[in-house]
Amino acid sequence: MQDPRLRLAAVTALSVAAFSSTAGAVAAFAWWLLFTPRTRALPRPGLLLPLIAMIAAAALVSELGGGAGLSYFIRMTVILLIAAWAYAATEEGEVLAVAVWALGDRIGFEIGLIAEMGLSGLSVIRQEIDQVRAAMALKGMRPGLRTVVPLAVTLIVTELRRSEEVARLLMVRGYAHGGRICPRFRKGAWDIPAALSALIAVILSVLPVGDVFILLGRSF
Amino acid sequence: MRVELEDLRFSRGPFSLRGTGAFGEGVHLVSGPVGGGKSTLALLLAGLLSPTEGAIRRHGIASSLLLLQFPEYHITGSTVAGEVRSWGLEPDDVLVQADLSRRADDDPFRLSRGELRRLTLTCAILQNPDLLLLDEPFSSLDCAAKRKACRMIEGREEGITIIFSHEQAVLPRVDTISEMEAGALTGLGGVPGAIPRWRHAPAYLRYVLEQGARPENIRLADAREALCRTRG
Repeated sequence: MQDPRLRLAAVTALSVAAFSSTAGAVAAFAWWLLFTPRTRALPRPGLLLPLIAMIAAAALVSELGGGAGLSYFIRMTVILLIAAWAYAATEEGEVLAVAVWALGDRIGFEIGLIAEMGLSGLSVIRQEIDQVRAAMALKGMRPGLRTVVPLAVTLIVTELRRSEEVARLLMVRGYAHGGRICPRFRKGAWDIPAALSALIAVILSVLPVGDVFILLGRSF
Repeated sequence: MRVELEDLRFSRGPFSLRGTGAFGEGVHLVSGPVGGGKSTLALLLAGLLSPTEGAIRRHGIASSLLLLQFPEYHITGSTVAGEVRSWGLEPDDVLVQADLSRRADDDPFRLSRGELRRLTLTCAILQNPDLLLLDEPFSSLDCAAKRKACRMIEGREEGITIIFSHEQAVLPRVDTISEMEAGALTGLGGVPGAIPRWRHAPAYLRYVLEQGARPENIRLADAREALCRTRG
């Protein structure tokens, strides 16, 4: 999807659908298979697999406690896939453009700028994790529970320092609030069909799908 | 001891790196502009990245260490003394050499970038690995600290030391010079023969060469001495 406004709308709809019910999650997964580059939009296995493992662990605990663990696992994994695709598809400046288009030059610009900085921070964090892991490997430290605390401390401190530097830089450049940009959006041939299809997932998530099949079964 | 780069190639996204050459015992400078690929080459030589094609062969090297460009990534200790211990060293001597004796109990993140650089550089040199890779070891240091760092690097009696730097003011005595630009590594050969071919040479060396002098090495002192010799 090229138009970031439609992409954001689709991501919101699919996330709501996947979070609401297992049927919605299955529909959102079908959408992901049809309208995204699928595995090409996924982060590297070193990042994705631990996240899936964390979801699986929480699901297992829930299942053992008598909860709907399997449903939780399916719903959260689909949300993760949608989020990974949305992150991979987002280009620099798009979030700011959408926020200004939706909310104007003042509040929209503020929200968009914060979101842009957050997104750029994510890629910086990824690079920093690689650097810290390399530094730990040089000291002979293997990845594990013992390395989690120093890794987290380094990331938090460096991110706080970066935020401070960016804030200072904005101040030095005379930034007070708001700003003006003229957002322009490209639209792909499949953008509107894909966005409308995302709504089907929402409908399926709120529809009592089991009842529909029972009714269909009775009519035959 | 020797490190050989056999038709080394590495690609990541639009960036690609290539190089062939060898580094023997002594101090080697890999110079070049920012973004030329020096840090990537350092990671490859440290074995933290794998070549896309070609190979890096190590001969007679039992231990290696890379000092990263940003010293804060090395921090794993909760105090400065604890940080030194995490390098497998005793704090007393290291902190004296790094001029940080009174900071032993401080949080390492409370140190300035320059102080942290002094600390990690001292730890790396005192570990005395066979292959020591220093990525921008002079960044964030003042002139006095840079000169001290140069003396420590020159003081390594054995092993291979490779400095990846775009430093233009204070440099140590080196044995060879290479240039890394736009992902291509070019070996210029041994010093002093390599100095006139060094395109990214500091201004003081270029001036001395323009004056017809031939410095023995790349330090400011060598340039001064060469000028004195020429002018009597």
